[in-house]
Amino acid sequence: MDFLVKIFIEPVQYEFMQRAIAASVLVGITCGLVGSFIMLRKMSLIGDALAHAVLPGVIIGFMIAGKGQTALFIGAVTAGIITSLLIGFVNRNSKIKEDTSIGVVFTGAFALGILLVSQMKNVHIDLTSYLFGDILGVSRSDLILSAIIAFVVIVSIVLFYKQLLVTSFDPTMAAVMGVSTGMVHYFLMSLLSMTIVASLQSVGVILVVAMLITPAATAYLLTDRLHKMLIYSVLIGVFTALVGLLGSYHFNFSSGAAMVVFGTMVFLFTLIFSPTQGVLIKTIRRKRISDKNISQDLIKLIYKNCIDGKSLKVIHAKIKLSELTSQLGLSKSQIDKGIKTLTDDGLIDIQDDFIHVRDKGRKEAIQLIRSHRLWESYLNHEKILSVEKLHSDAEELEHHLTEELVDEIDQKLNYPILDPDGDPIPTKDGELREATNR
Amino acid sequence: MSSNNFAIEVNNLTVTYNKKPAVKSIDLKIPQGSLVGIIGPNGAGKSSLLKGFLGLLPTDSGLIKVFNRPIKQSISSISYIPQKESLDWDFPVVVSDVVMMGRYPHLKFFQRPTEHDKKIVEEALKKVEMEKFANRQIRALSGGQQQRVFLARALAQESEILLLDEPFVGVDAATESTIISLLKKLRDNGKTILVVHHDLGKVNQYFDYLVMLNQRLIAFGKTSDVFKNEYLDKTYGGRLTILQKSEDLQIENAKLH
Repeated sequence: MDFLVKIFIEPVQYEFMQRAIAASVLVGITCGLVGSFIMLRKMSLIGDALAHAVLPGVIIGFMIAGKGQTALFIGAVTAGIITSLLIGFVNRNSKIKEDTSIGVVFTGAFALGILLVSQMKNVHIDLTSYLFGDILGVSRSDLILSAIIAFVVIVSIVLFYKQLLVTSFDPTMAAVMGVSTGMVHYFLMSLLSMTIVASLQSVGVILVVAMLITPAATAYLLTDRLHKMLIYSVLIGVFTALVGLLGSYHFNFSSGAAMVVFGTMVFLFTLIFSPTQGVLIKTIRRKRISDKNISQDLIKLIYKNCIDGKSLKVIHAKIKLSELTSQLGLSKSQIDKGIKTLTDDGLIDIQDDFIHVRDKGRKEAIQLIRSHRLWESYLNHEKILSVEKLHSDAEELEHHLTEELVDEIDQKLNYPILDPDGDPIPTKDGELREATNR
Repeated sequence: MSSNNFAIEVNNLTVTYNKKPAVKSIDLKIPQGSLVGIIGPNGAGKSSLLKGFLGLLPTDSGLIKVFNRPIKQSISSISYIPQKESLDWDFPVVVSDVVMMGRYPHLKFFQRPTEHDKKIVEEALKKVEMEKFANRQIRALSGGQQQRVFLARALAQESEILLLDEPFVGVDAATESTIISLLKKLRDNGKTILVVHHDLGKVNQYFDYLVMLNQRLIAFGKTSDVFKNEYLDKTYGGRLTILQKSEDLQIENAKLH
């Protein structure tokens, strides 16, 4: 307990930490929301560019009005908007592509900022904290500014949700709605500039793009709905910012770097373990499907060799199966495992080294044969594939066709008796009609 | 409702793309309730023409009227079904989200969709037999299902005019015929439908009218009047392969009659 108190409770008693916690939460919210749209509109590079390009604005603001939140805010937002306009201008008026025009404009603006810093005599500015962030040094006025910006961002996204969604997904629909895609773009650029201002103190210019896109990218891996993505992105953003802050307090880490490293870890973890789209679940799912396919292939094969009530010696079955190995691409252990699955599922019985196909197994095999032969017939009827390719396509698809679809094909083809190879097609009730021409 | 029955009237329209005119001096009068094919070779400006209608590309000159009113006033009565590759299919939207976008032009600027809108979305999905897929992400659909989702969006929008840009690209033959019969049904209900199309194979079975385009308007009229060698030659610059194709089609056509 003492340990937990030391980590989580102790820091909270200091006023500077209370301010830092509030700042982390605000950064998480603001970046999480704006970052989602930046990511979905494929503007990550612009996010990074604007973060750098606000520097000259901030310096000029300080030069004119002295060090203060208003100067910082106005200077940064103006610089952000001028930069995005300039990028658009270069784009429209030359053959230069967007990535290059972004690169040219933002590095130029950033360099100008550094030049100005080196010439500043009357105002001292701590370039390091500007570049890398220093969340433990957040002042009351910084916090008020961040809170106002967070409020503006939340309200804007709630109010303009429809317009943002449509212009991001389908600009033609936006035109029909009478929404100007250009207006929405510059509106979002203004929100982005404000977000950067709000994040300067905690993460710094260099890493602010990570706070924008990493939580958004993580959320994107977790859901298929935009509104959920926004919520998840905010939660992940707040969480990573807070953990980064704790790291910064206890280990004297640079706050921005700590947040971003942790955020990246969360992202990688999600990439692998996401319950719907994770690498792991996809691998398991693929394996499950291939296991199912193998046991279905096996039951079909065993059934075909056991027709007329004959039973099959296990050893023969295995030889036959391994003969087919080249065709099915199965290893010995896969065959053994497949036979065990079939026994466990009650599709076959093994007695005294003989395999008996049980009723359930017979039904399953006939259904598979039905799917296979009807699908071949359908492809042949629609002349979609050449005759040589029919079999392999059906071999693959017989595992995936639903009973409904198979029945639909049956009906469409007017209940054919034979498939293109002249083999009988079992009926819906599993009756295997005799081939007449063999 | 108006002095004539034209859904779209275009006078001397020039649409520019990349600062060059993509289509020049187009005059068209599209009757209401017709299914119109827009054909022409690559680079003929077929898509540009549709985008010009919507104001997505700049127009240098010309007037577009929709139901006898300037297009700006009636743009919400048009729905556009974009080319497949112009969309990000991984976007975090499910089928019902996309169809709901069709309701957006009916909503006020800050207004949220109402229960009434949700009902319309449901009905639209039923009409294209996609109600089972309402919660499916759009990447996890077949090409034909994706097209039907966008048709449902147009239905939800309750628009009078549908513009489709190459709807049959990457769609199998069976789905193509499902879509075309759906379009014919919509046409029979009085909708006006313009389809950018590049396969000449079934033009005379699909469309009532044809717009034949090669930067300029080569011909416009009933399909039976304009789908002829002389116009096809002009449209496709008399390329040999196309010539043969069209001749084959005419022979086939003759067999049918």
